[in-house]
Amino acid sequence: MAQKMTISFTVNGDKETREVNVGQTLLKFIRNELHLTGTKEGCEIGECGACMVLLDGKPVNSCLVLAVELDGKELVTIEGLSKNGELDRVQKAFVEHSAFQCGFCTPGMIISAKALLDRNPNPTDEDINEALSGNLCRCGAYQEIREAVKASVKK
Amino acid sequence: MQPETPAVRELISTEKNYQSAEVWTKVTGKAIYGIDLRLPGMLYGKILRSSHPHARIKKIKTSAALKMPGVRTVLTGSDLSCSPYGIVINDEMPLEPEHVRYVGDEVAAVAAVDDKKAEEALKLIHVEYETLPAVFDTGEAQLPEAPQLHENFPGNVAWRREVVRGDPESAFRNADLVVEGKFHIPQFHPAYLEPVACVAVSEPDGGITLHTAVQSPDIVRDLLAQVLKLPLSRVRIVGPVMGGGFGGKVYGNLNLYLISALLSMQTGLPVKMQLTREEEFTAGRPMVAAEIKMRMALGNDGTFLGREMDLITDNGAYSAQAPWVSNTLAERNDSVYRIPAIKTKARLVYTNKVPTGQYRAYGNQVANFACESLIDMAAKKLKIDPLEMRLRNCVRPGETTVHGLQIKSCGLAECLAAATEEIGWTKRKKGHGYGLSAAIHASGSVVFDPNLRGASARISLELDGNISLFTGEQDYGQGTHAAFSQIAAIALDLEPSRISVYSKDSLVTPYSMGALGMRQATIGGKAVQLAAEKLREKIIRTSSEMIGEPVIMENGRIRSASGRQVDFTEIAHYYHGQTSGLTLTGEGSYVPPESSYDDTKYGNIAVTYSFAAHAAEVEIDPETGALTVHRIVAAHDSGRIINHLSASGQIYGGVAQGFGMSCLEGYLFNEGRVANPTLADYKIPTALDVPDITPLFIETDDPEGPYGAKGLGEIVQVPVPGALANAVADAAGGWVTEMPITAEKIFRILSNRGAAK
Repeated sequence: MAQKMTISFTVNGDKETREVNVGQTLLKFIRNELHLTGTKEGCEIGECGACMVLLDGKPVNSCLVLAVELDGKELVTIEGLSKNGELDRVQKAFVEHSAFQCGFCTPGMIISAKALLDRNPNPTDEDINEALSGNLCRCGAYQEIREAVKASVKK
Repeated sequence: MQPETPAVRELISTEKNYQSAEVWTKVTGKAIYGIDLRLPGMLYGKILRSSHPHARIKKIKTSAALKMPGVRTVLTGSDLSCSPYGIVINDEMPLEPEHVRYVGDEVAAVAAVDDKKAEEALKLIHVEYETLPAVFDTGEAQLPEAPQLHENFPGNVAWRREVVRGDPESAFRNADLVVEGKFHIPQFHPAYLEPVACVAVSEPDGGITLHTAVQSPDIVRDLLAQVLKLPLSRVRIVGPVMGGGFGGKVYGNLNLYLISALLSMQTGLPVKMQLTREEEFTAGRPMVAAEIKMRMALGNDGTFLGREMDLITDNGAYSAQAPWVSNTLAERNDSVYRIPAIKTKARLVYTNKVPTGQYRAYGNQVANFACESLIDMAAKKLKIDPLEMRLRNCVRPGETTVHGLQIKSCGLAECLAAATEEIGWTKRKKGHGYGLSAAIHASGSVVFDPNLRGASARISLELDGNISLFTGEQDYGQGTHAAFSQIAAIALDLEPSRISVYSKDSLVTPYSMGALGMRQATIGGKAVQLAAEKLREKIIRTSSEMIGEPVIMENGRIRSASGRQVDFTEIAHYYHGQTSGLTLTGEGSYVPPESSYDDTKYGNIAVTYSFAAHAAEVEIDPETGALTVHRIVAAHDSGRIINHLSASGQIYGGVAQGFGMSCLEGYLFNEGRVANPTLADYKIPTALDVPDITPLFIETDDPEGPYGAKGLGEIVQVPVPGALANAVADAAGGWVTEMPITAEKIFRILSNRGAAK
């Protein structure tokens, strides 16, 4: 039998207490237990960035973190970025600049962009490329993504 | 020429960047992809794969796996009653009963209550193999002593083709210059970010519903019915959102679909399966690898006289679409220029490696690497500007190419001029290398299936006055459906947001070939236009009948000469009442003009052709050979551009992928085993790698496409390898003839040059 542990955390603003298998990744926990499927599974070994979430404000590949590490922390997924039905400015800018095609990398990409803007409100092109270099976009929308991130900078 | 109303002008203009409502689901995490699907009672399936490149299966013991708690069924090849199947050659089984031919071949499958248990159960299946000698090299595979992979294919040649057009012998005899080269191209994976995933549901009537995102659902549906021996009407494909396809998901993964269907039929429960990233690389269907030997004959003035190609493509263990890809690879580039004489010999050879299929431009893009490199080699020898040489030979409107393609609209010369102008061809930066390349790609193949050369669409006026459009053409982010809304909106004189597009359920959508061969915008779009025009006629006729006087339709409103206005809701309700529930519907079918196409494959293969020229600017570190690609200017003739936002997106993405295959990607093997089956080792471009890309549109007005439009989605990748090879050669002084173009290979050229000095 898999060993279990009880954890308490905040997800997208809501306090939760759950029992988790100690070997389960945060990615599987988010998708299969919290049913938040906006966090995508592209490789499961930290190479594509599609599963990026904010853990205490920092971007992490949720496939490389165990669910138990969520204990006492604050988790924000793509579903938590809009407030009262109002989308985050990064989300809006991604649509306005058509910064995606298939959209599979988009949740992770937006999370990374959000984390970048939180720590560096006025990023250069190089800062943006660097910050997003862990998020693969095979549709190749990098140029539009860069424009979207720049457009989300608060004036 | 097509009629151009004010609405056409407004909707096909740079200001119009219409997006369909689906885009919002992609930024909020609400879009449901194949990997997100979950049905009540669903089981999870996993596949046991061969660990040997070539072996006989002597015995499979499944009893321990079957006894494991949570395991619902185990299948092996000997449980199957189906016959070998294939897209072109029937050489494949969903699970191989006796004979495995590559590391990754499907041997057994398990369905269990969760994916962990399914995976654990695989370890309890014991397979006894008798290993066989394996062959990994296409040359060795053709030798008499080589192990034979498939009974009916002596010499391991799966497909061959020889074609002669014109008089190549005298072309080479009379040539002032002959250039030749040998080019090596590895397998490339489309590396869509979402691995193939599906849920199969066995239905009470014995049929199967397969939930999966696939580019050509109706073709997959046909194949499933055929292999599973089910009536076609009992197979249904329902599509979630697709996480990238790029030609790699034309058929999705047929073995995965068949196995999940068989597991579901066996258990009576829905079965979900998805490939891991490693399985994608080791048991997916990357594009064929190629060895190209090519010679070209020219006159002193740079006129092309003839070309010879000897092509060997590496099939891997099974064929998938590899014969078709090999064919396009072998001949499509011949039609970029006026080349009066052609001699081509092509062979597709089985090896004990991952089976191959296709990626975006069907091999046209890797042939471009060879063809365009050779042109610049000749230009250098003849001391002619590569731009000048291309302009002298490039195909023009109204011409028929060496393979019989009939060129209608063609802006290739203008693309060449625009790309070079924009990159600064005559104002070069010191130390930078510049390269140019040109391409043609068929837009809307009419020879793919002789029984379905065109497309159809259905469009209805709903009771609320909105419009529903049903099409079998698939959109996974390219913007096809937004363009379809725009096309229908032009015909109906109303705003595109009132037109919803449905394509995701084979039960209700018209039969279609789907997203392949750059056919959707051209052929599918034309069917939408025709359907919408029919609906328009019906709406006008019904309105006149309703109010008893003639009407005209404009800006989404209908009015009579006397000034009486009728809105869409009113007409919809009137018709609904008159017919006891029917909706006003227009059915459009576009049947392309007849084309001759003979046994030698000479003839007009497509409705129309798109063209492109790319110019690249690069810089090389003379010490290390490290390559910096500064810029790629991509000039495209895809006819009239319906939607600039999505058309530009196609160019950004296609060029990025072209750059990836040219400079970063490619399969590596160790004794037939894929040596780089991860995204860390098979490196695709990141935000840091992709060069600056400038899209340019040379808008011609195509007589066939809807409102003058032609396809774009595949040709965007085609000129990139040639442009980069030539830019690197310009900077380094010699050509890298093996993809990808890495620092190491450039360094070798620099060293040889240094040694020569």
